[in-house]
Amino acid sequence: MSRRRVYVAGLGAVTPLGDTWADSIEPLAQGRTAVAPITAFDVRHFPCGVAAGIQGHFELTSDRRLALAERAAREAWMMAGVEAAPERVGVFIGAESGRASLATLLELARAAGAAHQFDHASFGRKARPLAARVDASSVSPAAVASALAREFRAHGPVETISIACASGAAALVEGTRSVRLGECDVALCGGVGADVDPLMLVGFGRLGALSARGVSCPFDLRRDGFVVGEGAAMVVLSSNPRHAALEVTGIGRSLDAYHLTKPDPDGDGAARAMQQALQDAGRATVDYIQAHGTSTPLNDEVEAKAIRRVFGSSWADIPVSSVKGALGHWVAGAGAIGFLCAAHAVQHGSLFPTANLAEPDPECGLRHVLGRAASLDVHSALVNAFAFGGANACLVLERVN
Amino acid sequence: MGPLEARVPIVGAGAVSAHGVAWRGLSHTLGSGVCAPEPATELTTSHPGTRAFQLTTLAEPSSMAERRARPLMSRSAVLASMATSAALQDAGWRAPLADVGFYLGVGASGGSVDQLGTMLAASLDAGEFSLERFGDRGLAACNPLFAFQLMNNFTLCNSAIVHGTEGPNAAFFSRGTGTLFALSEAVDALAENDCVRALAGGADSSVYAVTWAELMREGWAERGLVPGEGAALLALAHPTSSARALAFLDYVSVHSARRAAPTVALQSALDALSPPSIDAVVLSAWGPPARDPLAAVVARALRGRPLLDVANGLGESLAASPALAWTVGLDLLCSQDLGRVLIVSAGLDGDLGLVALSAGASP
Repeated sequence: MSRRRVYVAGLGAVTPLGDTWADSIEPLAQGRTAVAPITAFDVRHFPCGVAAGIQGHFELTSDRRLALAERAAREAWMMAGVEAAPERVGVFIGAESGRASLATLLELARAAGAAHQFDHASFGRKARPLAARVDASSVSPAAVASALAREFRAHGPVETISIACASGAAALVEGTRSVRLGECDVALCGGVGADVDPLMLVGFGRLGALSARGVSCPFDLRRDGFVVGEGAAMVVLSSNPRHAALEVTGIGRSLDAYHLTKPDPDGDGAARAMQQALQDAGRATVDYIQAHGTSTPLNDEVEAKAIRRVFGSSWADIPVSSVKGALGHWVAGAGAIGFLCAAHAVQHGSLFPTANLAEPDPECGLRHVLGRAASLDVHSALVNAFAFGGANACLVLERVN
Repeated sequence: MGPLEARVPIVGAGAVSAHGVAWRGLSHTLGSGVCAPEPATELTTSHPGTRAFQLTTLAEPSSMAERRARPLMSRSAVLASMATSAALQDAGWRAPLADVGFYLGVGASGGSVDQLGTMLAASLDAGEFSLERFGDRGLAACNPLFAFQLMNNFTLCNSAIVHGTEGPNAAFFSRGTGTLFALSEAVDALAENDCVRALAGGADSSVYAVTWAELMREGWAERGLVPGEGAALLALAHPTSSARALAFLDYVSVHSARRAAPTVALQSALDALSPPSIDAVVLSAWGPPARDPLAAVVARALRGRPLLDVANGLGESLAASPALAWTVGLDLLCSQDLGRVLIVSAGLDGDLGLVALSAGASP
């Protein structure tokens, strides 16, 4: 099967540190963190009261995924300046379900009755007014990809990938494959997470996954959980090399098939995804790794173990950082913002540090980027994204020769 | 997408529907015209009088691993696991399954409504939803892993954990088209040697109080949609495999409604597909407004060729519907000594999906 090269034509993001990707770069390079106390709603009894949220732009009651994704996509699209027939443009988005508003939750509670069991009869009687409060177009995972397809006149493949924290990276994998195999010429890819809301905070908190200290510090000895973040990161991929400085050369995916919430303790699934991406790129190593690095005790240790296993003795030469110290964990958008950080490293030779990483855990022995951005001539980079449920997605990107 | 460069061998399949855990014989059952929806037991109290195509009982867990996982699995995840088990068995694939890719169209249905009710009840203060109580007691009142019944990817991941498939994977949100992308991605993964064998299909249920309420609100029920549920998977071997094939996948395409009306897309696709090569058509459309115009196009273009409308006997099971139709097509091909079957699917997203299966000897 013929295989085309896949170039990175445009990048865009809305992050808690900047309204655009361009605006986010300097604070990320400085090692700043966007994690702050949540003020948008009452979190006194919540397991974690901080987040890396995007303030000021959106109402709490609206579904924000689309607003974030559209802005990031416009930045990426404008930068790309690509032209293609609508049927040659595809959209590949990592997204989970949106959330009904708190007002709808109240309706739901009333419809289900106040007893300790779900009152089906009551729910059925009251379902119509309840459902009328739920805007399916904003709750469906596919709503984001559909809206972007409309805005950018994409008549090619339009896909929504929902594999939790690996969704954004998996969407980039899909887009890469689609351009590579000639199914489309231009692919708008990326991910969005808008999870600084009560449902997600309580849900993740009850799992014990959130930081009780309220600090996102991947690979640090004091790490105790992740901090929820939100934002959107978009990439325009193209088969046209015009003006392109970067290309995606490797993709890899695997399943741990191990546990709903815990990674395989040997890092086997993560290692297989990394190896597959490297093999696909025809490389044995890379110059930089943008790690998944969530700041949870087990995940970071297992990821470090998997990286050491994959790269053998050369691991000590490869700088590693995780953007989640700065921006929190975007869940479905996580892999996509990681991709942008890796792209920045390859294109500009500037490696963002892992914010808040001050005391590297010996169990996470890697060549961490600490403090401020490091300068290095980087030709290739690996991006990792590992999800609850054990789905893993990795990408290799390289400077265009 | 379209005609495949190399035909992909189908070496097994698994299907779970209102007619049991089987794909062999489904075309006969559905073609007999005796299928009728039954009172929907899952909706008896919330939507009394609703009729649906639903499973009356779920299979017992197939292993200790599944027994442990079952309380945390949504109904869709259980259906997916049943279909996975059946497909693995049908293909003769046994552990280790590290090289098996897994691509699934999934929906958002299925979390336990009892768990949801418990959570909400604990969050009420004087009859009002209280954010404070929700944070303090709401989720504490139900299984802390309840959220994972609601996340789309767990329909896929639970099956992977239970059955040990460790290869490349993706869960595509689907109200029709996403399931076609799951199949297409599996084909691409095989073509690029990301895996040497793969499962591809869909699992979902519309026989679920919240989903059905939403479908009613959107007007689907009034336009003739009958709720259904199920899961189906094709077991695909690498195009160069010498494994004995039941049939071959030779065409996969999705036609966006943004680009052309489904009838126009079907007509042009049929022209490109060489109509004389098609011996039968399986049509899976959510209801009469989608089905009737497509059936008319098929009748005109493929005069005299049998058309099997599977929604009449399976209902609309959202992400599962296209995949169930593929297994019906596979059954037609295998049981009636046909050369080629075209499977047309039209889901709630308005797009059109086309898959062609053909008979033939393995390479």
